[in-house]
Amino acid sequence: MEGSIEVLKGGLALMGYGLAAIGPGIGIGIVVGNAITAMARQPEMAGTVRTTMFLGIAFTEALALIGFVLFFIA
Amino acid sequence: MFEQVILASECDVANEVICAPADVKELFELPTVFHIGQLAVSRTMILIFLAAFIVVALLYFGLRKGSVIPSKFQAVIESLVQFVRKDVAEDIIGPEGVRYAPYLTAMFLFLLVGNLFEITPLINFPITARMAIPAFLAIVTYVIFVFVGFHKNGFRYLTDIIWPKAVPLALRWLVGIIELFSTFILRPLTLAVRLFANLVAGHLMLTLLLGSGVIFIWNFAEAGAKSLVGVAWFAFGLGIFLFEIVVAVLQAYIFTLLSAVYIQSSVHPEH
Repeated sequence: MEGSIEVLKGGLALMGYGLAAIGPGIGIGIVVGNAITAMARQPEMAGTVRTTMFLGIAFTEALALIGFVLFFIA
Repeated sequence: MFEQVILASECDVANEVICAPADVKELFELPTVFHIGQLAVSRTMILIFLAAFIVVALLYFGLRKGSVIPSKFQAVIESLVQFVRKDVAEDIIGPEGVRYAPYLTAMFLFLLVGNLFEITPLINFPITARMAIPAFLAIVTYVIFVFVGFHKNGFRYLTDIIWPKAVPLALRWLVGIIELFSTFILRPLTLAVRLFANLVAGHLMLTLLLGSGVIFIWNFAEAGAKSLVGVAWFAFGLGIFLFEIVVAVLQAYIFTLLSAVYIQSSVHPEH
């Protein structure tokens, strides 16, 4: 009985991490897609756009990372 | 190398598809090499000092002569230092960013070397996959940006975060709470965890895939036709290996970039 609850907890944590990864996945897609559009339209701004893109990715990623940590804590 | 020994000792080649240890923590707790008195020195600690030593040696030998016509090695080191100084410190923080350039440069190079340990043959362990290193560096950045914030703006630094004037009055308290939480709790936490999680994930994938590949191919007699699975794991692992080179460099860059952005938000809080 004890063991099955442990297994259930692990499975739930895994599902929680999967759910936490959906939002940031979509978000990073939007960030990078728009950055590519911006770079294609104004190649001379590529450097600035790339830096801002990495910043945007880093902020968006935070939610997935919190999910990742909670997966290990749970 | 050591990780593969763990995998091999627990792997049942005949029945399993991939070799994984019972507890993944085993892959990150490296054995003690020797003792200094009561202090047990593990392989991780040696690697941390090795990384610091490599950074100091690179900077010393690269910038020792300072000749006008640089040698190839000097040019590489100069471009690295110049990159952090100009593209990170000055572009993000502004003219006064030069003051923070030494800290950012040291951090960037240390993280770069530490991350690249992940894919260095015979070392194969990123020291940044132990929470101590990212947590310590994030705390140092945290102390710097909070200190700079109070030093430059006085007590207004805190009141501007809790009661932002730019926001409509009805929403001000809500934005204030969110900003307070994100600035003083989420910022250092995500800064440390981002680096840590990326390197842990990378090290896990590389160890499991390449380790399983080697073990399945090595135990050809026992596994039989299943050693073909090992070939597939090994090929997949090599693909991840290339990807991890990008991740290692990118995560060192992002950590430095975000530190600069946080310091910038304290130097010019209205932006």
